[in-house]
Amino acid sequence: MDNINKLTAVAQIKWICITRNTAIMIGPLLTVAMVWMVKILYSINSGGNLSPVLVSLILSMGISLNLCMDGFLMVGTAIAEEKEKHTLRVLMTSSVNGIQYFIGSILFPFVLINIINIVVLLISGISISQVSVVAFLLVSALASLISCVIGMIVGLCAKNQMNANLISYPLMIVFMMIPMFGNLSEKLHHISGFLFTGVLAEMASGFAEGMPYTLKPLDIAVLIGELIISILVFLVLYRRNGYEKD
Amino acid sequence: MEQNVLLDLSHISKRYKTELALKDINITLHKGEILGFLGPSGAGKTTTIKIITGQLRQTSGEAKILDTDTVNIDESIYEKIGVVSDQSGIYEKMTVWQNLSMFAKIWRVPSVRVEEVLHQVKLYEHRKKPAGKLSKGQTQRLVLARAVLHKPRILFLDEPTSGLDPSTAVSIHKMLLGLKEEGMSIFLTTHNMEEATKLCDRVALLYQGKIVECGSPKELCLKYNQNKKYHLLLNNQEEVVLEQSPQNIAKISEWMQRDEIQCIHSCEPTLEHVFLQVTGASLGLASM
Repeated sequence: MDNINKLTAVAQIKWICITRNTAIMIGPLLTVAMVWMVKILYSINSGGNLSPVLVSLILSMGISLNLCMDGFLMVGTAIAEEKEKHTLRVLMTSSVNGIQYFIGSILFPFVLINIINIVVLLISGISISQVSVVAFLLVSALASLISCVIGMIVGLCAKNQMNANLISYPLMIVFMMIPMFGNLSEKLHHISGFLFTGVLAEMASGFAEGMPYTLKPLDIAVLIGELIISILVFLVLYRRNGYEKD
Repeated sequence: MEQNVLLDLSHISKRYKTELALKDINITLHKGEILGFLGPSGAGKTTTIKIITGQLRQTSGEAKILDTDTVNIDESIYEKIGVVSDQSGIYEKMTVWQNLSMFAKIWRVPSVRVEEVLHQVKLYEHRKKPAGKLSKGQTQRLVLARAVLHKPRILFLDEPTSGLDPSTAVSIHKMLLGLKEEGMSIFLTTHNMEEATKLCDRVALLYQGKIVECGSPKELCLKYNQNKKYHLLLNNQEEVVLEQSPQNIAKISEWMQRDEIQCIHSCEPTLEHVFLQVTGASLGLASM
């Protein structure tokens, strides 16, 4: 009960801080707006009929953008903001422990990323009958979790919000750009298969192209492996300095 | 540990790489007492608070807080203590009320207590205001309100009035004395000697990581009152400072008999003078 109280309080604090931070909230809005606009542009160019390849491109872009912008930036910047405003130490000296802070910090972004993933799927122009909803939600949940843990790593390393953005950019180039442009190059497509963002984007593309989707062992290994690696990196950094270096 | 001793530091030292920040610190804090840790910036005041509150590990020595060795404390200790530093932040985008109610949830404090504390710090009228719109003094009162929300047994205050205007500082002093009346123990660090004299039951003068003197402010001032002097204002508006000597006593007595003295004060040294005498450095210059 005590744990739940503290966790809810942290999650509530994060909810308020994130939703009132325009720099952070621009991410999910931009993702939805971009998908919607690209869909309209593609529709106009293709005479009103979106081919499966174009839907697949829209989905790859939307999902990669969402996982990276909303995961890395939302979680990372929110922690960096707490460091900048000196509220992180206040929270950590108010009997909230590291695990409660961790879960409380990623709870809202995790839910939001999954909602945006569903919104992206719905507005991309794909027919829902082509989608294996359970598989999509499962992979989306795993990918969002990895994205949030990476966001926590960004937050641990960042001193302020600007710094969090700077740290996120190289990660975004790898995890967002590669799956996004995977359809344009065979090499990028191959690399994309080893990224959690790529696994989800590839899955959505498969749905768009009407292919029956089965989760391959490599996909499972990538998702589980990257989740474990990100958690380990987080733990190593956390053990060294805690959430804030003295 | 004695029953009314809430905090006991024994031979605490802290080394940062090559620099020795704290040297053999020994001090206790009793129930209902305000203990002042005085010294210039860089003397080791904040380091001491961080060690006591488990945010930093000492290099050697033993620190006990509420009967627990600080090496063994976990986050649950923060349910029994309150911490305020000059860098304690607030959630600027939340209202004043939300700032307290979130922590009330963490500490399982009823919302009646939030109301009570807001009245106490005179911020109840501002409860719906975003905390970012408060003045510096109001912000510091909010920080203090949050720290005492769960009625901690010990309150740690690191430079609580630093940078505040005199009237806000006075209102915070009143609040601290009120908390002391309620039985709360307060560990206060400051470089403001006047504040320490006014608030503290005991003070420890910290210089270059070492306690150079400890006692009640009055005790210390009297201890270092070696050249007793008297300041007089005579009827002719002349101001004189006389050292204690048989001739001067006779002179004062004569003036008194002739009713020529408007006012007379003994000139005990202030804590600042004591600090200067003990360390040979002034508070402003000591850190330079």
